[in-house]
Amino acid sequence: MSRIAMTIAAFLFASVPLAQAADSAEEFYKGKTITYVVSTAPGGGYDTYGRLVARYMNKYMPDSKIIIRNIPGAGHVVGANTIYAAKPDGLTIGTFNTGLIYLQLLKESGVRFDLAKMSWIGKAASDTRVLVVSKSSGVKTVQELLDSSKPPIKLFAAGVGSAGYIDTRLAISALHLNVQLIPGYNGSEGTMSMLRGETQGTIGSQSSYTQFVDDGNGVYIMEAGGPADSKIPQAGQFAKDDNARQLLKMIAAESDVARLTAGPPGIPADRLALLRSIFMKAMADPQLLADAKKMDAPIAPATGEHVQQVIAEALQQTPQNLQLLTQAVKAGQ
Amino acid sequence: MDLHVIFSSLLGLLFTPKLLGLMLLAIPLGIFFGCVPGLGGKLGIVLLIPFVYGMDPLPGAVFLLSMHAIVHTGGIVPSILFGVPTNGPEAPLLADGYPLVRNGQAGRALGAALSAAGIGGMIGVVCLALILPVVEPFVLSFSPIEFFWLAIIGITLISALAGKMLVQGLIVGCFGWLIGMIGLDPQTGVQRYTFNQLFLWDGFDVISGVLALYALPEMMQLGRGKGKREAGMPEIKPEVTKYTFAEVWDGVKENFRHWGLTITTAVMGTFIGMIPGLGGEAAGWMCYAFAVSRSKDPERFGKGAIEGVIAPSTGMNAKEGGGLLPTLFFGVPAGSGMAIMLGALIMLGIKPGPLMIVHDLPLVWSLIWAIAISNLLCTVLLLIVGKHMSSIAHIRANVLVPVVLVFALLGTYLAKDHWESLLVFAGMGAIGYVMRRNHWPRPCFIIGLVLGPTAELSFHKAFALHGLTFLVQPTSLVMMSIIAVTLFFNLRKTYRRKPGVAAAAHPKPTGGSI
Repeated sequence: MSRIAMTIAAFLFASVPLAQAADSAEEFYKGKTITYVVSTAPGGGYDTYGRLVARYMNKYMPDSKIIIRNIPGAGHVVGANTIYAAKPDGLTIGTFNTGLIYLQLLKESGVRFDLAKMSWIGKAASDTRVLVVSKSSGVKTVQELLDSSKPPIKLFAAGVGSAGYIDTRLAISALHLNVQLIPGYNGSEGTMSMLRGETQGTIGSQSSYTQFVDDGNGVYIMEAGGPADSKIPQAGQFAKDDNARQLLKMIAAESDVARLTAGPPGIPADRLALLRSIFMKAMADPQLLADAKKMDAPIAPATGEHVQQVIAEALQQTPQNLQLLTQAVKAGQ
Repeated sequence: MDLHVIFSSLLGLLFTPKLLGLMLLAIPLGIFFGCVPGLGGKLGIVLLIPFVYGMDPLPGAVFLLSMHAIVHTGGIVPSILFGVPTNGPEAPLLADGYPLVRNGQAGRALGAALSAAGIGGMIGVVCLALILPVVEPFVLSFSPIEFFWLAIIGITLISALAGKMLVQGLIVGCFGWLIGMIGLDPQTGVQRYTFNQLFLWDGFDVISGVLALYALPEMMQLGRGKGKREAGMPEIKPEVTKYTFAEVWDGVKENFRHWGLTITTAVMGTFIGMIPGLGGEAAGWMCYAFAVSRSKDPERFGKGAIEGVIAPSTGMNAKEGGGLLPTLFFGVPAGSGMAIMLGALIMLGIKPGPLMIVHDLPLVWSLIWAIAISNLLCTVLLLIVGKHMSSIAHIRANVLVPVVLVFALLGTYLAKDHWESLLVFAGMGAIGYVMRRNHWPRPCFIIGLVLGPTAELSFHKAFALHGLTFLVQPTSLVMMSIIAVTLFFNLRKTYRRKPGVAAAAHPKPTGGSI
């Protein structure tokens, strides 16, 4: 037997179980109902993305039914706990905030999940974290915030312990920014406070400030993570040492992985593979892209494998960085 | 302002069959979401979004706004007839609406409340139109300092709501504030009173609080009553709740007899609605307290004063018009309902922001008119149909109690999706029952619960921004004097009145306490 024939035979032999596996996974999902958990109340960004993903995944699994279940509470923790504790049969998946990385690293009470062990199915978008300042602040570059001889500018953030607050604290610690952080601005109150001139800026997800900047009310002066071709200066270039860069990586991970979909640990490999491939098919669907555009919901998908890797890296922080993270949060207390 | 744009938008709405049809469809839907306890306008929008998906911006937005604007009007009928609030904002209606029904004045109460809601909605829209040219400086003039003082003014209204039971009012108010502290501390992130329970992280839910505090005690009273009702509380007989159009019309006319109150509370409601984060839940109570404090004989309140029905009705519907303003022109939703509305508008392809005044003025006017028309239509519809609804007020207790409790529990569960809320409902309900038995003022609890946390968070922010010097800024000094004057007059009014005067003027107090 020639070597070529041997190779072909080996290839065929090897691919048989794979094909069988895909078949059996498809067989499994036939007639089944999949619950897609959204960790917020109906309405809002996570709900919009969750429903979009579920609807178009369902398009490629016509024999199954995907239903949405909103499980809000404790800033996505209740939803994530629910997904983590679900039976790993591939019939419960869902979405939550990437900022839960921080809560896990900080070992917050109430966290009953381990993100490193979850079955990652994919992510739908990137949501670059930016430092945006109002036009009335007069600030144009990050350098102006590094000069400690000037009076500090006021940045707002959501409540202490929120992902937005921790991002800002980490950036302040890493870059020694000369700013005063004022927490407690929820939802749209922060934008109002910038318009009023009461605060001068914030660190937050770019999508929340697109309109503010488009209306000519503010500018982005720095970003962490985000697309390679962006014209906004990267936070990393202002970092003076490796530790600072490592801290900024945590923010970048949040930027790169947003609107994720995951299931509990231990979903059978064939079912997970099927869910992952269907997720990517749904993300490429022209109709989904058209709908997303209409809803102002940018799409930048990545595979479950990629998400798994980014999350694992973000969770691997040195004890020194963990201490910095704890300090960053405790500084507000 | 361009009159052509204003009126062509109105004609467009009325003479485009599709738009008019959508509005006519939105009205029964709005009434439905309003009159089932716990559903409310927020959930209404969420459930209707799939249906407007793919519509053009104008019809989609007109449909959703027409539905959302009248949810509270829909809630009036069951709130007044059963004495059970269908949602937070409707709670103040019970204080006087339910006693009026038990007094045999269901027609007058419904007529007054429904027309007040309609008028409130219209005045809200007029205020919105008038303020359009100066919208930006107005909304931007509210900083944490103003928020703090407005919340404190709201809290001092306890002095009017509690009447002679001032001490009890303060205890109940502080208890509400204490319950409002449950959750993550807004300044330090520390967990407060959460006992390691995740469902308490987000704090105590206002809707469950209102439902528990009112629905459970009312139903328990009804269930254990069986002829042994409280002293002075007449048995509801079927004929008592039957009423004629003349009575309804009499109720409608009450709005014009108290025109000063109607207009003032509508304007108050609009302004409270306009300020993001001030808590629309409290708007009705603030208007109610205003009615009490300006009344010559506040003792009548809680026993069937028609002003006590008018004030919250106008306030809660006017705030809907007000809430549209920051949502449309800043992309800043005024409350949680408007936040979901904002998402729906963006999905429809409307880009809220200051530029809407320049580019989308016809759309803006169409939306304003849609709110006005749906308010008018809904009020007229309910005034006509309400006559038949009145028969539900004399459903026997053994039927009514389980049905209302099922809806109240459903509403409590739906509000947060936590089963633990049901335990909270039972606990709060028991407290509410004790309060009701002893005639302690329950509204003070809601005021503390809603405005306490606003006051705390605004204080933190104002302090972080300006230090303690914010207390001596001109705004603060003005606000402090307003508070001192209101407190002085409210307390003087309460304690200088000779007992018996009010009772003599109104010989038929029904004993239903607020």
